[in-house]
Amino acid sequence: MAVTSNHLYGAQKAHETPHEEEHDPREQLMYDPLPRGVMNDMVMESMTTTSWKFWAVFGVLSVLVAVCFFYAWGFMISEGLYIAGVMRPSYWGVFLVNTVFWIGISHAGTFISAILRVFKAEFRRPFTRAAELMTTFGLIQAGASIFMHMGRVWLFYWMLPVPNERLLWPNFHSPLMWDLLAITTYVLGSTMYLFLPLIPDLAMARDRSTGWRKTFFKVLALGFRGTEGEWRHLTTAMNIFAFAIIPVMFSVHTIVSWDFAMAMRPGWSSSVFGPYFVVGALHSGMGAVAVVLVIMRATMKHMDYFIRKEHFDGLGKLMMIVSFAYAYFFFNDYIVQWYGGDKWTDLLLHWLEEGPMAWMFYLLILFNIVIPFLTLWNKKIRTTPWLLALIGTLINVGMYFERYLIVPVMLTINRMPFTWKLYFPRVEVFLTIGTFALFIWLYMLASRLIPLIPVWEVQEGQMVHTLRKVGKTQVPTVSEFE
Amino acid sequence: MSEKISRRDFLKLASVGAATTAVLTGCGPASRYVEREPYMKMPEYSYNGLSTYYATTCRECAAGCGLVVRTMQGRAIKVEGNPSNPVNLGKTCARGQATLQGLYNPDRIEGPTKQGRGSGVSPLDWDAAIQTVSEALKSNNPSEIAFLMGTGSDHVFDLASDLTNAIGAPAPVRFGALSMFESRATLSKAAENLLGQSAMPFFDLANADVVLSFGANFLETWLSPVAYTRGFAKMRRGNPKQRGYFIHFEARMSQTASKADEWIPLLPGTEGLVALAIGRLVAEAKGGAMPQAFASVDPLEVASTSGVKLETLEHIAQLIVEAQTPLAIPGGAALGQSNGLSTAEAVLALNALADNFGKPGGVFVSPLSPNEDAYHRPTSAQEMTEFIAKMKSGGIKVLFIHGVNPIFELPKSFGFAEALESVSQVISFATFPDETAIASDYIFPDHHGLESWGYQRVATGTTQSVLSGLQPAVSGVYDPNTNELLYNARGTADVLIAAAQLAGGKSAESLPFKDEVEFIQSKLANLIGETDGSFVAPEINTFSAYFQQHGGWWKKTAELATPSASSVLSKSVKVEAAQFAGEGEFFFLPFVSPTLAEAGANKPWLQELPDPTTTVMWNTWVEMNPETAHELGVTNDDVVEITSEAGVVKAAVYLYPAIHPGVIAMPFGQGHTAYGRYATSLGTSEKFMELVPTSQYVNGGKVSPRGANPADVLGAHFNAAGDLAFAGMKVEVKKTGETQALSRLESRIGVYGEGMGEEH
Amino acid sequence: MSNQMVDLNRVGAKGAIAEAAEGKWGMVIDRDLCTGCQACVAACAMENNLSFVGEEDAGYGRTQHWIRIERLWEGEYPEVKMDGGFQPMLCQQCGHAPCEPVCPVFATPHSEAESINLQVYNRCIGTRYCANNCPYQVRSFNWRDYHIQPFHANLVNGQLVFPLHNQFNPDVTVRRRGVMEKCTFCIQRIHSAQDKAKSEGREVEDGEFTTACAQACPASAITFGRVDHEESLVSQLGQVSRGTKHLEELNTLPRVTYLEKG
Repeated sequence: MAVTSNHLYGAQKAHETPHEEEHDPREQLMYDPLPRGVMNDMVMESMTTTSWKFWAVFGVLSVLVAVCFFYAWGFMISEGLYIAGVMRPSYWGVFLVNTVFWIGISHAGTFISAILRVFKAEFRRPFTRAAELMTTFGLIQAGASIFMHMGRVWLFYWMLPVPNERLLWPNFHSPLMWDLLAITTYVLGSTMYLFLPLIPDLAMARDRSTGWRKTFFKVLALGFRGTEGEWRHLTTAMNIFAFAIIPVMFSVHTIVSWDFAMAMRPGWSSSVFGPYFVVGALHSGMGAVAVVLVIMRATMKHMDYFIRKEHFDGLGKLMMIVSFAYAYFFFNDYIVQWYGGDKWTDLLLHWLEEGPMAWMFYLLILFNIVIPFLTLWNKKIRTTPWLLALIGTLINVGMYFERYLIVPVMLTINRMPFTWKLYFPRVEVFLTIGTFALFIWLYMLASRLIPLIPVWEVQEGQMVHTLRKVGKTQVPTVSEFE
Repeated sequence: MSEKISRRDFLKLASVGAATTAVLTGCGPASRYVEREPYMKMPEYSYNGLSTYYATTCRECAAGCGLVVRTMQGRAIKVEGNPSNPVNLGKTCARGQATLQGLYNPDRIEGPTKQGRGSGVSPLDWDAAIQTVSEALKSNNPSEIAFLMGTGSDHVFDLASDLTNAIGAPAPVRFGALSMFESRATLSKAAENLLGQSAMPFFDLANADVVLSFGANFLETWLSPVAYTRGFAKMRRGNPKQRGYFIHFEARMSQTASKADEWIPLLPGTEGLVALAIGRLVAEAKGGAMPQAFASVDPLEVASTSGVKLETLEHIAQLIVEAQTPLAIPGGAALGQSNGLSTAEAVLALNALADNFGKPGGVFVSPLSPNEDAYHRPTSAQEMTEFIAKMKSGGIKVLFIHGVNPIFELPKSFGFAEALESVSQVISFATFPDETAIASDYIFPDHHGLESWGYQRVATGTTQSVLSGLQPAVSGVYDPNTNELLYNARGTADVLIAAAQLAGGKSAESLPFKDEVEFIQSKLANLIGETDGSFVAPEINTFSAYFQQHGGWWKKTAELATPSASSVLSKSVKVEAAQFAGEGEFFFLPFVSPTLAEAGANKPWLQELPDPTTTVMWNTWVEMNPETAHELGVTNDDVVEITSEAGVVKAAVYLYPAIHPGVIAMPFGQGHTAYGRYATSLGTSEKFMELVPTSQYVNGGKVSPRGANPADVLGAHFNAAGDLAFAGMKVEVKKTGETQALSRLESRIGVYGEGMGEEH
Repeated sequence: MSNQMVDLNRVGAKGAIAEAAEGKWGMVIDRDLCTGCQACVAACAMENNLSFVGEEDAGYGRTQHWIRIERLWEGEYPEVKMDGGFQPMLCQQCGHAPCEPVCPVFATPHSEAESINLQVYNRCIGTRYCANNCPYQVRSFNWRDYHIQPFHANLVNGQLVFPLHNQFNPDVTVRRRGVMEKCTFCIQRIHSAQDKAKSEGREVEDGEFTTACAQACPASAITFGRVDHEESLVSQLGQVSRGTKHLEELNTLPRVTYLEKG
């Protein structure tokens, strides 16, 4: 059923509903529909139009990935971990920081596509896929980082519970095993959850492509024709996954945090780590989503149609709420530890506050708490894309600092003062650059291969944003279409 | 029966028990070592997977601790102490444990070499080597032949003594850095003056209840560290009713001082005065006539001179009065001063006052080693300068060097390296390419201690008379790729015997032996009739076999001699003020590294052992009081230049909380410019893991020193006994602006509070 | 202990509850006697094929010392003392070892036979969680193949020859890069003595063998033996009133008793 915006607009002009500000509702994506064919073409065009700038950046990233990721890691596997900066007492360093950081980034995807879907937050529609891609690619980096830190990574499969003739079984008491199970579940689940909503768009792309692309989409689309029955099955599946992936998301980062909370180190064995890490993950994830959206909007064709002020507004509000939660858990963790008065924890807190890495501690508070508090309440700031991206970047930097403080810096202080030495990252710097480069590289590759906007969802949303007469006024409503 | 039997078979006989007696007497004089064979075919007694143990003696220092070496298929894999040997009773020190890394060091001399003083290195074979030695003995005027030897390897020393005695050459000179820092000449001279005989005193630490150590580092490398550490342990906890009390006087808290109940810092050179002051206070407290020895000292004046409070002196005097068996020990830097001899006498006088001569927990004279007629101390540093003068004057045409590295061990200002140029021919028997070896004309490498035959006289450390024995625990080090000997060394005694025989005349007459084993047996022969020994045997072959099996021979009963003490207290003991050389602001206190000692720098595990008090590894440091450092504007890891009137040395600073503010201290043992890859430095850690062939070290190739040698700033100043006043230099300290990160095992954050917002 | 079949999958707290709290093999270290001489460190290195790591790595917390001598300071000059003296620190072979439950592949199980904590080199995949969880920080990791670096070799006829390898103890594995290691209470000596005693049809006697560190110590500060036998020397010394266990409050049930000064 074709709904034209003119028709809608005309009907609305006569009244100004009290809770709407003075602006054209067509500014909002949901009230600014275009013909389906046009929208589909826009999405296809943004996927296939590639400028020289794209290839330049892609080339540089390829080199970075080859050198900083594969070569450096290969050298480390063949020569040993000595080229990294880990030592006694900081046996874990930037590799674990990266792992936790990337898992944190990946939480944003699930939050946006699952929780926002469950809570029927409309503003999520255009960027669920972009967020889910962040989840998948972020988990790849997290997995790579966790493998990098292993001394004999070629034997990682000993952690898998498969029957073997030595009758050896992995140790399920170990938080690392819980990690393995949780992250594997999460990867599989979120990849499925990425793929399911992708099917209709792949079908759409298949119908609009030729050559190798057509074959590619044909295989992946699994023969989706858009029939009523198929849509019903798809919707059921997506709903199941949406509800199922939410507890997985919460549990994954809780379990990752238990790598630290289950250890006996001062500062680590804190029972609030579970929710603290989940909220921290969301914090950094939201910020990363903001950055990604801003970059998408700036670099890809037609993205300014799909991603608009209201999305940044909604995202910004989310970031603000999460920053409140984060601030609560942050202070909860440190203040309760301080209140406990344990001698070693006291020394650790002293080390964080006055030691050589104290600058990280204070910048962390500034970036994660102070700046979001001071800025995100303001709608103007929230709806200025580059500002939101800047705040998001600062939040990510702050969260990286937080993980860096928790892993290598906190490990310096233990119950044997004779051993306290300060950690310095060595090859980890290159490998970190490598993971970032690989993440962006994968993302750029994905933007050429699949539609980044879940256009059927946008269309669905637009379609159900009809005006209804309720009593004597006309109000925008969402029908019980879903 | 005169067939040659292989060395394997001899070892087999030597290491198995009493059942062999019959076999040995049957074989007669032919049962001795002749050939060395690789361990490809193992002897029948050796089972795969089971070890064979050989008793021998450690050669890392001259203490003579007995070892039992575990070997597996011809390889020495572990060193343990010999539980029967009275010196160490089964214990070993870190250097003894690491001696295996000397045996299997990648940088040993590979075979007889024409070294050409560093230029034009070419290998020789052993026949040519023996020929060279023989020529040297034959064609030179005997008065121009000289032997310079270390304090270990007594059998080589005895052989060289017999040889030189017979041909009319001067007796061999024995010297070592350890004996220099232990001030052995001072101890024996003080004993001669006060105890009635030139001997090495023995301090019965084990049975003392209050111990005063004036600088003696008996837990580190002093005289016989394993024996004295055992004594210390017994002193502490050997008596269940009373824990021994220990007070140590030293300007820095050494490892020994750290175990004291009271560490008393004092101004260097005032130890003797403090001893006299305590003696006077003790005599006053006891009442009665004041002994002449303490008559002229004023405790109040001593308190102000030394920096030790009068209350402290009185408190210590009181402890001595109340003690049952008090003991005072002189040593270390207290004797390495210009007033070292009178300091030693003052401390001995204190012992006389405590009336502990010849009593348990007191002072004794160490028993002479079996077959020893008198105690022969090593050459003193002052006597070494005379030796060097003789070298310089061209009075030495051929110099044989064995078991000592004088270019490194003597202070640079003595000019040994320069004096070598005036010696026509220098023949070294070094096992490793050390500084002196690569400056020689020839190197004819001796075996490593674990490959050697021999014996070691025990000078001190035990109540019994001990002759510790050596036998090879391995037949050599082999290249696994070719099964050839990797290090073609030969016993120096063997070389000298062969060369003497070849030279003929008086040389040949003095050494009518087939090989060194026969020589050693000739020296053991007169022990056969002794009844009080650790074993008895009817004739030399059996005796020799038991000697190998037990790791030596010792008298069963204690033979500590009681010094004659009557006249000590009636003599006036004057301790003059110590003289210091140079105008610098700081007292310079070198000390022997407790982990490296004099020759440990080429063993990588010794380098990786942290120094007990600073935990620094692989390098040299300068200990400085934090206040002093603050005033100088230096901090940890800053490199400073230390200048004395004799030389300059540079090292990184270690802010050490337990050292007198006017004193800086530096460990001795590093600073090698040769001696192998672990003793020197290629600069960066990357290079540490590259291939560096041994030739780089043997040819005197470009290496930089690892750490620094404090002997570079020591000048030729001696105490009255001729020992070096090594703690008698005053130095200037200057910032250089460079830094050198010291590798410490400890955490500066945890131990010193760095980065925690509060400094200790 | 009992002769029932050992369940290899019991680990950590569960395994420990089954055994008596004091364990079987234990040690007493007398801090009043320890002189800090490092003979034990050198002996352990020679016995257990430990690698030395060179100056830079040694200062950066990568030493392989299975036993190390710690010392702290108290006071200021001239009343400065070493706080409690030297403290040799080695694996405490805890009854409730925190390192055991956290290894994902069971590379550090508890031994029911010897009642100590084992390190299985060929199972370790190098996650280093055990090292983080050890409150005594006594575990070391093989950051590279230190033993086979070309620096330690001679070049003889074009081939690398490593003479230092001759010294290796064949009873102890030489570890490659990527695995954790720690003091094993010289388990090779424990087994060797037990085998010998078994072949002679008797029990191992107290003092028949000991660990490398205890054997070397010139001050006899380290005593090793059966802490579950009342009459053994180590049990009797462990009863002395000066005895404490380090970080006992963490309930790790360490098998090493330290005799403090005084």
